[in-house]
Amino acid sequence: MAPAPLLELRRLSVAGRGGVPRLDGVNLVIEPGERVALLGPSGAGKSTLLSVANGLLAPSSGQVLWQGEPPSHNRRARRRQQARIGTLWQNLRLIEELSVQQNLNAGRLAAWGWPRALLNLLLPLDTSANAAMLARVDLAPQLLGQPVAALSGGQRQRVAIARLLRQDPTLLLADEPLASLDPRLAASLLALLLAEASPPRALLLSLHRPDLLAGFDRVIGLRAGRVEIDATATSFQGAEGVARLQELYRGEGPTPAGQAGSANDGERGEPARPVGAGSLGGAQDP
Amino acid sequence: MTDVVGGQAPALGGASSARHGGTGRATLRRPAAPLLLLLPSLVLLPLLAILPFLAHGGGLDLLGQFAWAAVTPSLDPLVLRSALAGLATTVGMALLGWVASLALGLLLGLASSRTLWRTAFGRLWPAHLIRRLLAIPRAIHELLWGLLLLQLVGLQPVVAVVAIAIPFGALVARVVADLLDGLDTGRLDALRLAGAPAPAALLTALGPPLLPGLLSYGGYRLECALRSATLLGVFGLGGLGTDLKLTLQSLEFHELWTGLWLLLAVMLALETGLGRLRRRWVMPRRLGLDQPRVGVRGREMVLGLASLVPLTFGVGWGLGVDPRALLAWQPLQGGGGSGWLDGERLLALPWPALIGGTLTLTLLAAALAVGLPPLQLLVSAPWPPARWLVRLSWALARLWPPPLTALLLLLLLQPGVVTAALALGLHNAGILGRLLAEALADGSAANEQALASTGVGPRLALLYGRYPAIARPYLAYGAYRADVLLRETVVVGLVGATGLGSQLLESLSSFAWDQLLALVAVYALLTLVGEELSDRLRRRLLQKA
Repeated sequence: MAPAPLLELRRLSVAGRGGVPRLDGVNLVIEPGERVALLGPSGAGKSTLLSVANGLLAPSSGQVLWQGEPPSHNRRARRRQQARIGTLWQNLRLIEELSVQQNLNAGRLAAWGWPRALLNLLLPLDTSANAAMLARVDLAPQLLGQPVAALSGGQRQRVAIARLLRQDPTLLLADEPLASLDPRLAASLLALLLAEASPPRALLLSLHRPDLLAGFDRVIGLRAGRVEIDATATSFQGAEGVARLQELYRGEGPTPAGQAGSANDGERGEPARPVGAGSLGGAQDP
Repeated sequence: MTDVVGGQAPALGGASSARHGGTGRATLRRPAAPLLLLLPSLVLLPLLAILPFLAHGGGLDLLGQFAWAAVTPSLDPLVLRSALAGLATTVGMALLGWVASLALGLLLGLASSRTLWRTAFGRLWPAHLIRRLLAIPRAIHELLWGLLLLQLVGLQPVVAVVAIAIPFGALVARVVADLLDGLDTGRLDALRLAGAPAPAALLTALGPPLLPGLLSYGGYRLECALRSATLLGVFGLGGLGTDLKLTLQSLEFHELWTGLWLLLAVMLALETGLGRLRRRWVMPRRLGLDQPRVGVRGREMVLGLASLVPLTFGVGWGLGVDPRALLAWQPLQGGGGSGWLDGERLLALPWPALIGGTLTLTLLAAALAVGLPPLQLLVSAPWPPARWLVRLSWALARLWPPPLTALLLLLLLQPGVVTAALALGLHNAGILGRLLAEALADGSAANEQALASTGVGPRLALLYGRYPAIARPYLAYGAYRADVLLRETVVVGLVGATGLGSQLLESLSSFAWDQLLALVAVYALLTLVGEELSDRLRRRLLQKA
């Protein structure tokens, strides 16, 4: 028997201000091993969808199923469900005042009781596990004792990913993790996330720019709270795929890439990149 | 991406790898920020351990009656009318004392500003001199000023007003001077170089940036003035405080609660109103050092401040405050037979024990006041009704004068330092609790949410998501509060055996003026040293780690 899908949204709606729903009848199933890109113009409801998926936001109607089960009414059971879902936030949400090691251990808090949680604020706990986690994101173990506030931008991104992995979730959610990053860093971080999302895990990653679809299995296109595209990533190769993406971003700019990533001046004005295009080569590097 | 790491690696080599290098051995580090926040609450352990030995058995049923009376306050029209009259007097005294302290503080603050002296007269030493001199009135608690003035001019409405105005004025002066001298003088220098006369340049360059901090602090002083006016009442200077003490001593708990609930309503209305004004006029928060600019509400502010003038005169006339009464000194009552000054009588006082008691009391109360609120928030985090109850308990604690808490505790506990520390600590926990709640409301909930979304419980999410960011500013405010507490130890002197405070009240009632003066001087000296120490601690805490 096939395992239950990691995430299932059924006719899910979230009310918004002024009668315009933020999500409107969204159906979505994510199976183990799937790497799904969530595309859409700003305001399409990508962040709302991720907030519902990680349980931060309760839907106004419809159903969320985590591994086939609805969110439990029992507080502890619900927390156990949520512990299997990890989110990489756009602003990272690292705890600035704590050390890298303490931040990594914060990924274990749901599993730890009070004694360890308090001890973590006093002693370096699980040093070898944390060092291994840093190695997985290409950081030196010497960073463990550093305060997060002392890290560079790229290091912080990697520490945030390491914390996510330390939580060891089965469903990885990422809310525009690549926005405002330079292309090289964006590509290498994406490669890291894609590599970690092998079965039994799955990845749902929201992207503002449709030019980094390499390595994804599926693309969900969201517009005005509705799912407009739900197709395999390979179907976006060629001119037809570009046209479909342009349709998703209609009214936002001349081309999808034209409005993509304002921090990314070098790529401005280039056409949308289908899978396998030039500069994405870096994404496949270890 | 190794280049990112590689660039950093040499810098990391020494210190951090020596501490954490691959050995995996657990080395004790400095406690992290959230733990630092909970550290003061450890004082609860010895306190709770010692409490059973301090209890004297009796009084439990009285305390039960007191608690029951909270929900069944007396609604007798006579009681209500008397409580309202007392409240009006207290509020009036607070308002007058506050206005006088602001006027006084502004003048003295300008007079002790280094920037002002340098710009206007080209010399600095008068600023330093005035600053030093102002430390003395500031070091003496308003209760002491009140009791001294009471001896000098008798029971007059003006006594409470002046008692509040003197120390508060000196405090405001210090804040004004610090704010002024902390401002960037670039604009001032530019105006002076352009040939503007000193007064015009000072007003133009320093007035607008000074205003937000001043208004915010001024509003906060009004809350303090209301608390002080109530406290002075407890010691017989009139108003609701006097009623509260009398009803407590005669165990009329229902009438007591009538006054308390009214006071609570006024206090909360005042705090809410001032908070709204602060936000409306884009005020900086009291916690932390950031100072946003004042908004475009200048006209409103001027109108609000101008309306204070007729209000002040109206209230002054209504209360019968007559400044001339200050000039009519009464002869002091006898010097106990052996004359005015008696060296032996002075030396006979157990000075080390008195000072030691005062310091113990201060530290215990400070640890309790600083440690309790974060712990209470943490414990009550999962249950909204409990959170609400904690807030209510803070509001009651800060409006309920500490000497009355002390009297109430005496129903259960024996007199002494611990009882006094409990009374003082609980009162100040109410003040710090409100500040903590304010800081939390102003801060970002992002980290807390992020943790909650990974299945972390509400308590740990609060500890890891919220406490790290506010730990240092909160503790820095706590350091300042400890300094205030040292001054305040006198108000719980009446529970006995608590150091200088008790001795002071005793000397006062036996008209031993030489002892009294010596005690006030020692108190002032201790406070000055304490102020310096707490200032240093505060600066260290606010430094970026």
